[in-house]
Amino acid sequence: MADANSPALLSAEGLSSFYGRMHALKPTSFTVRQGELVTMLGPNGAGKSTLLRALMRLNKAEGTVVFDGHDVSKLSTHELAELGMIMVQEGRGLFGQMSVRENLVLGAYTGRSGSGIDSSLDRVFTLFPRLKERFNQISSSLSGGEQQMLAIGRALMAEPKLLMLDEPSLGLAPRVAYEILTTLGNLNKQGLGILLVEQKAPLALKLAQRVYVLSLGRIVAELPAKEIKSHHDLAQYYLH
Amino acid sequence: MIDLTQILQSLVNGVGVGLIYGLVGIGFCVIYNASGIVNFAQGVFVMLGGMVCHTLLTRLGMPLIVAAILSVPVVAGIGMIIEICVVRPMWNRGAALFAIILATIATQIMIERITILTLGDQPRTFEEFTLGGPLKIANIAISYQLFWILGCGALMVFLLFLFFTKTKAGRALRACSQNREAAALLGIPVHHMLLLSFALSAGLGAVAGILVTPTQYTAFNVGTPFGVNGFIAAIIGGFGSAGGALAGGVLLGVAQAAAIVVFGAGFKNVAALSMLLVVLLMFPQGIFSAFKGSGKGH
Ligand SMILES: Nc1ncnc2c1ncn2[C@@H]1O[C@H](COP(=O)(O)OP(=O)(O)OP(=O)(O)O)[C@@H](O)[C@H]1O
Ligand SMILES: [Mg+2]
Repeated sequence: MADANSPALLSAEGLSSFYGRMHALKPTSFTVRQGELVTMLGPNGAGKSTLLRALMRLNKAEGTVVFDGHDVSKLSTHELAELGMIMVQEGRGLFGQMSVRENLVLGAYTGRSGSGIDSSLDRVFTLFPRLKERFNQISSSLSGGEQQMLAIGRALMAEPKLLMLDEPSLGLAPRVAYEILTTLGNLNKQGLGILLVEQKAPLALKLAQRVYVLSLGRIVAELPAKEIKSHHDLAQYYLH
Repeated sequence: MIDLTQILQSLVNGVGVGLIYGLVGIGFCVIYNASGIVNFAQGVFVMLGGMVCHTLLTRLGMPLIVAAILSVPVVAGIGMIIEICVVRPMWNRGAALFAIILATIATQIMIERITILTLGDQPRTFEEFTLGGPLKIANIAISYQLFWILGCGALMVFLLFLFFTKTKAGRALRACSQNREAAALLGIPVHHMLLLSFALSAGLGAVAGILVTPTQYTAFNVGTPFGVNGFIAAIIGGFGSAGGALAGGVLLGVAQAAAIVVFGAGFKNVAALSMLLVVLLMFPQGIFSAFKGSGKGH
């Protein structure tokens, strides 16, 4: 677990992005410390996905991003992944016509994991035993929860230093969402830095060491998690 | 009066040229799947396959088999140059796909002109890979080259299958075709994959061109008919799988051959385009994906 003195794993300075003339992400600065789980919260259309996409250069963006001590502002998406910045997209981004196995194997594309594909697979199966049962199933035929597990499992195959997730609980039954978020919490306890984007999940707040609130394309609040008693306290930020 | 021998003979010929269309069609699919680009310069690779092979054969005096094998990487290299010089700059600047597609047509015309200037405009051919023949079975003549086309076509499909399912690069290429953003997020360099897809489909086109030249001729302008027919083959096959495109090519080749027998040589292209229209009207996702029952992609 990280504390306020942990060094920064990721810091963005003036990150900003446009869709045509619409300034969907106003210059925004934030950090994720080593081993920290940060939750980014905001209502529909606040710019959460835009922020992650700008960070990973899926969208054109301006501003400075420093990751793990390197200035990565000029790098492209696949180079960021090679450094260990791994993102799970909104909607999971699975390769629908491929099996669970092929999706997972592709997760290890960068070969960042020194220990080899088999031991990475074992680790993923320990976290999500259901994926092992469905190893050869085509990924588009998995249930929503299983798809999200696969998306996270595939990301873990890349041995991320920073795992970014865009609304992983979206569209899932509360129990499945709970299971997945708890797993993320455990990964964080083992030292993984996580940037979790969610719309409201109270559990995402409980797990977080720090919370940013995003609204209308800018960060309107930064709170240590213990200051948030409940999700309802955040309502003020949603009312404009 | 049309007799059975004539019909069977035209079937045999149709299968041969149809397999060539199929190989060109696979080339279309490989690039399209990786990028969404329809590369209308595809036929040029067929032309270059024949022309480069002929040049190596006659100007450098290489044995046919050496010239044939060497031509493939040469043409694949030309495919990569097209990707680097034409497609990539437009792609990186976020050009509309249709603009890139137009640029591939311009590229075809340019390469045809360069070919005239360097190699001349005369048609040329070289001998079949196995001399002798044709093989006669009950009055039906089967040229030995047809067996080469069959064998090499099957080998290509098998190698492609291995490449796409068993190798890291092949799997990455398929990943790009299913979800380009997700592929990039896993560290797959998507633009390298585009380069690879151009090399691959140029190489396939070259193989087609080398195989078909002994059965007819090659010249600077054979690219367009092969390109158009390969394109139709790919559409019949649903623009997805290699097997679909190959089967589409054979269907098209046989339909053309039949039309020539029944209606006369002038109906070759009428048959091809009618078939395209019928397929587009009845099976907009291609015949073979319609049969699979999974028309829409994921
Ligand atoms: N491709 C696009 N083109 C134009 N505008 C877009 C595009 N994508 C998003 N936007 C706009 O940018 C703003 C921020 O969108 P974004 O998807 O980042 O919101 P979000 O916080 O992720 O919302 P949600 O919780 O619904 O996923 C919205 O107003 C949206 O309409
Ligand atoms: Mg979103």
